[in-house]
Amino acid sequence: MFRIADLESSIDTQSNLFTLIIHLSLILFMAFTIQWKPKNPYFAEVELWEAIPTKTAENQMTPIKELDVEKQVTKKEIVKEIPKQADVDAEIILKKKKEKIKKLQEELLKQEQIKQLQERLLNEEKSKRIEKEKLEKLQEMLRSEEVNQKSDRIAIQADKDVEAGVNSGELDKYKALIQQKIQQNVNNNLCGTDYISLDFEIKLLPSGELLSDPVLKKSSKNPSCDEAVERAIFISEPLPVPTDPKLFAKLKQLRLKFYPNGQPE
Amino acid sequence: MTQLIKTLIFIILISLHSLAKAIEVIDILGGKAGEIAIAVLPFEGDGSEKDIKFNEIVKADLERSGFFRAIKTDGINNIPKDIKDIDYSYWTALKAELAIVGKVEKNDTQVKVTWDLVDIFKQKLITTMEYVGNPSQGRLIGHRISNLVYEKVTGTPGVFHTKIGYVKKFDDKKYTLNISDLDGFNAKAVVTSTQPIISTRWSPDGKKIAYVSFEKKKPVIFVQDLSTGERKLVANFKGNNSAPAWSPDSKQLALVLTYNEFSQIYVMNADGSDIKRLMRSRYIDTEPAWAPDGQSIYFTSDRGGGPQIYNINLDDKEIKRITFEGKYNVSPRLTPDGKFMTFITQEGGKLKVAAQNLKSNQVLKLTKGPNDESPVFAPNGHMVLFTLKNSGNTSKIGTVSLNGFKFVPIEVGANLIQEPTWSPFDF
Repeated sequence: MFRIADLESSIDTQSNLFTLIIHLSLILFMAFTIQWKPKNPYFAEVELWEAIPTKTAENQMTPIKELDVEKQVTKKEIVKEIPKQADVDAEIILKKKKEKIKKLQEELLKQEQIKQLQERLLNEEKSKRIEKEKLEKLQEMLRSEEVNQKSDRIAIQADKDVEAGVNSGELDKYKALIQQKIQQNVNNNLCGTDYISLDFEIKLLPSGELLSDPVLKKSSKNPSCDEAVERAIFISEPLPVPTDPKLFAKLKQLRLKFYPNGQPE
Repeated sequence: MTQLIKTLIFIILISLHSLAKAIEVIDILGGKAGEIAIAVLPFEGDGSEKDIKFNEIVKADLERSGFFRAIKTDGINNIPKDIKDIDYSYWTALKAELAIVGKVEKNDTQVKVTWDLVDIFKQKLITTMEYVGNPSQGRLIGHRISNLVYEKVTGTPGVFHTKIGYVKKFDDKKYTLNISDLDGFNAKAVVTSTQPIISTRWSPDGKKIAYVSFEKKKPVIFVQDLSTGERKLVANFKGNNSAPAWSPDSKQLALVLTYNEFSQIYVMNADGSDIKRLMRSRYIDTEPAWAPDGQSIYFTSDRGGGPQIYNINLDDKEIKRITFEGKYNVSPRLTPDGKFMTFITQEGGKLKVAAQNLKSNQVLKLTKGPNDESPVFAPNGHMVLFTLKNSGNTSKIGTVSLNGFKFVPIEVGANLIQEPTWSPFDF
């Protein structure tokens, strides 16, 4: 009769045997395949320079080294071979030729090194100049940031004043005056009949004149109309602006939204 | 870590900066329809012949359009002859927005005109051009300059080179159908008759003119080829034959026949063949005008009690009323883009030229009357040519601009000028 207990004991025996075999084969595999000896690590030589080597060091070191090697080779050759008389002359000519070649090589090498050095120096100068320019730019940015911050402080103060109701009436008055002056000069003849809109941004000087050309931020998609409105801004110069620097700070940059044919009801 | 702190500080600064820089916004609604001040300076080397003085031709053309106001240059010393000589601050002070400087080189065989259009406020060259022609083309060169200036500023091509047609009555026994430049120069008669000529209509392809003549002791329709001078009687049906109107492709004519009944509209081929009645009604239907898309015809009818303008769709024959303002609206004509319709309206007992925006139906009264008639649009739709009838049986023709309503008469040297028509861009 089949019993589950018999089956279990048979499975146990089988699995124990299987585990043993697996472990043994693993040990064997490790013993023959893994290199237990420590291997010399690969290392690269890195030369750390604190500064670019001086001109003399560059010039002297490399060529002398190479010259020595050349000399040794020549000596060895002479020692090894006993030349015949006929060969001696040829040997001398060859030697002379070799010397000439060596000299030429040396000269070329020197020229090459000089060239490299000059390039390095040039690069060094260039990077110094770039650094200097960067520094100047940074200083300039800091200065302009300072100016902007000053101007912004005035604007923030103006904002506070407006919020406090000190200058809001005045501000609105000047906005209305600017609106009125420009509107009179907008030749909407050139803007067709559709309800269109366009935006310009302007920057003003305390005199009311334009600091720079108006910037078209949103076109009416009718170039003649855009041009006509831009002309209206130019014609309106100088724009009425307050003398109070706090109020002017609020109006020094404006977004003008034009609706030449009005707005639909 | 320091990098992170630096970045954070930077972000905070940027945010504060942008907060502090909130820009004030000003809304500017509408404008003042005005004229652009332009200084058309005398061209260097220009002759003394008044008729071919380039700056005078250009000035007159631009002023006619209603878009420009020519600044008077008489008495101004040191007028610049070249763009590099322009004193911008001087011309800005004179409120000149644009300036034209030019140079003329003439010999027996040709005229060469070099010119520049300059934006005074921007101190910028807008365009520079050179035109060459034979000596007889002097005025045409002037008109071409005006056309390009007009296009550069308004964005729409100018029409100053185009021709007009009109009927000139010398006395009760002589009528001529004349063709001339828009400003009245270079006029020539293409038809001479002892009987009245009316309803002149230049074909859209520019090659022919249709008109109504009374030479058969009743109104009949002729079509005349402008290059050969050959003319053909295309409508001599029973009763009155009148009010020809070209289809946009110049292949068909709409016309009005009475057959001794009420006036009714018909359509036929331009050679007079294949005539068909457009619609059958118990009212007076007259003065047809083809829509530029060729899909419908505008016409005048008394079907609503008084004369009003209607539109009939040529496919389904659906009829829509177009004019509602006032009790008397007649003589419709369309702009080439189909956006506007010009017509004669009666207001306060006066007949005036009006224009209606066909999208918004807004109506503009372009003239003051009192007896205006026969309005027709310029090929660019910016002006209307019409007849002004005066008391004492005299009349003249002139143009009125759609924008600015500027009226400028066309001087053609007679007391009775009427029934104008306008050529297309190319003729």
